[in-house]
Amino acid sequence: MLSVLPQAFDLIFTVEGLMVLTLGTMLGIVLGALPGIGSTVAVAMILPFTLTMSQAPAILLLLAIYAGSVYGGSISAILINTPGTPQSAATCFDGYPMAQRGEAGKALGWATIASVIGGLASSIVLIFAAPQLAAFALNFGPIETFALILLGLTCIVSVSEGSPIKGLMAGGLGLFLSVVGGDPLTGGPRFTFGSFQLIAGFDLLAVVIGVFALSEVLIRASQRGEGAPPLIDFRGIVLPRLAEWRGRGRGLLKSVVIGNVIGIMPGTGAATAAFISYAEARRSAPTRANFGKGEPDGLIASESANNAVTGGALVPTMALGIPGDAITAVMLATLTLHGVTPGIRLMQDNPVLIAAIFAGFFLINLMLLPLGMIVSRVAAPLLRLREAYMLVVITLLCTLGVFFVRGNPFDLLIMAAAGGIGFVLRRQGYPMAPLVIGMVLGPTLEISLRQGLIITNGSFGAFFTGHPIAFGLILAAIFMLLLPLFRALRARQG
Amino acid sequence: MSLNSERAVVALALFLLSVGLFFSTYSFPASDMGAAFDPGFFPRIVLGCLIALAVPNMVIDLRARSGWDASGLRDVLFLMVLMLVYVVVMPKLGFFATSVVLSVAFFLILGVRSPLGIAAVAISVPGALVALFNHILSMPLPTSPLFWWI
Repeated sequence: MLSVLPQAFDLIFTVEGLMVLTLGTMLGIVLGALPGIGSTVAVAMILPFTLTMSQAPAILLLLAIYAGSVYGGSISAILINTPGTPQSAATCFDGYPMAQRGEAGKALGWATIASVIGGLASSIVLIFAAPQLAAFALNFGPIETFALILLGLTCIVSVSEGSPIKGLMAGGLGLFLSVVGGDPLTGGPRFTFGSFQLIAGFDLLAVVIGVFALSEVLIRASQRGEGAPPLIDFRGIVLPRLAEWRGRGRGLLKSVVIGNVIGIMPGTGAATAAFISYAEARRSAPTRANFGKGEPDGLIASESANNAVTGGALVPTMALGIPGDAITAVMLATLTLHGVTPGIRLMQDNPVLIAAIFAGFFLINLMLLPLGMIVSRVAAPLLRLREAYMLVVITLLCTLGVFFVRGNPFDLLIMAAAGGIGFVLRRQGYPMAPLVIGMVLGPTLEISLRQGLIITNGSFGAFFTGHPIAFGLILAAIFMLLLPLFRALRARQG
Repeated sequence: MSLNSERAVVALALFLLSVGLFFSTYSFPASDMGAAFDPGFFPRIVLGCLIALAVPNMVIDLRARSGWDASGLRDVLFLMVLMLVYVVVMPKLGFFATSVVLSVAFFLILGVRSPLGIAAVAISVPGALVALFNHILSMPLPTSPLFWWI
């Protein structure tokens, strides 16, 4: 790999190469920040324009869009409590409260640095560990995946502090919403009540935007002039000082590792990584009591993990030809359309191109810092609008975002209904984060559980005996579920 | 314990919904396939857990004396109806025209009375989005039969 780096740099450091990296990253940040567009739509949207370009710049452009859009999702999550991409949903938990108390610039500063570190670490992993890690990921079958998702679900308990029953109920509602539609094994309809539209299930983004953004619009409208939360004051990114990083390095490292490992495993994705990383940080960080109230450690956990997924997800895509999620499936199509066949022989057959892609990916993540500062600065005047104007802008952006994912008017109805239901539930103290967590993790949890039971002939006990990785993960999940109980008991005794 | 608050009504509704949905899983096609092949297998686990949680939740909320708080609900109701009408007609009548009407109505409900401000935002924001999506990103928004050029 290192021997072909000079030739790879010749491909990158051209006028076309550098322009592609810069403009692609900026465009990716903008598209990621628009609620509903998301990484997959952003890459798919730009893909046709690359067909007339030569191989390396075309692939680098799409990689720049990919990495930029994952970071861009954090901008709207922090400033308007609307995750631009599902993987930024966990960023809302601490990013928006920070913005509400007048620290929007600082929140974006933490998110930017965490994203850059997560992305850079993942590109190093991609460069040096692709073949080895891809082989390890093959050890993860349905049973291990089930155990991992179960561990991820335990974060519902940690994001429900204050009202654990209501949090768990919201999580259960999210899991229920994820099963509506065609059964993944038999294809039979479930809870569709004769509606053809519901066969495909609820669109995740429509529900996420409804319960977070639209319900926020309704809450602000209902509290008009009666102590409604203040509008966000944002005047550009404020980077955290070096001294403020003291004590946060371990958590950052942990989140980066979680992001990379989850990215490598097929079928999990950046949203799962962000939630698992957030849950782990909330369990282990010394500042855990402040999580959900605007704690930088929460932001660092979700943003570093979701960006660390980008490189990790490319490992099985490039080394094995197995896409991990929708976005890497589009990247796989991109490589194929440009005459590159991903798989075990990819690195032997195209060493210069692969080195250029890896090195370009590293540069893209490095550029996120200055470009993120420029792009988010442009957003500042928009956020100083009068509240009523802002509410209309948010509503229109939500509508557009939801409509563009599938072009399906039914999704707009779902968004409106989710907004109304989210408003009612939030008024009664049901937190919405667990609902989204349940909906994100539900499909993988179900399919891995059922596949696991089929493999073991219906024996749940076999999950523990022949699968040490799964056994360890399930034990960890039980421990994390019981931890708040132990803490409460200790607090009572103390 | 009485049904004297918004919170209690929501808790009871969630309990009844969970119970109703739980029993509806037995009418799924192929629900006799057994264990993991049964389409109702996983939903029953989820809904069973929801029922188990809904019972204590309902007891807590029925005991609470939180009452009813209708402040600001009239505006929210208007906005919800407006939003529902908008999402139904927008794909048919086009994004620009319907968004201008929605914006003006939103402003009036939210108490904005500046005609200049209303006109500026209600026209410029949908207009900018049309320009961005139709002309820069080449992702055409729904157009109106009356204003087909936008």
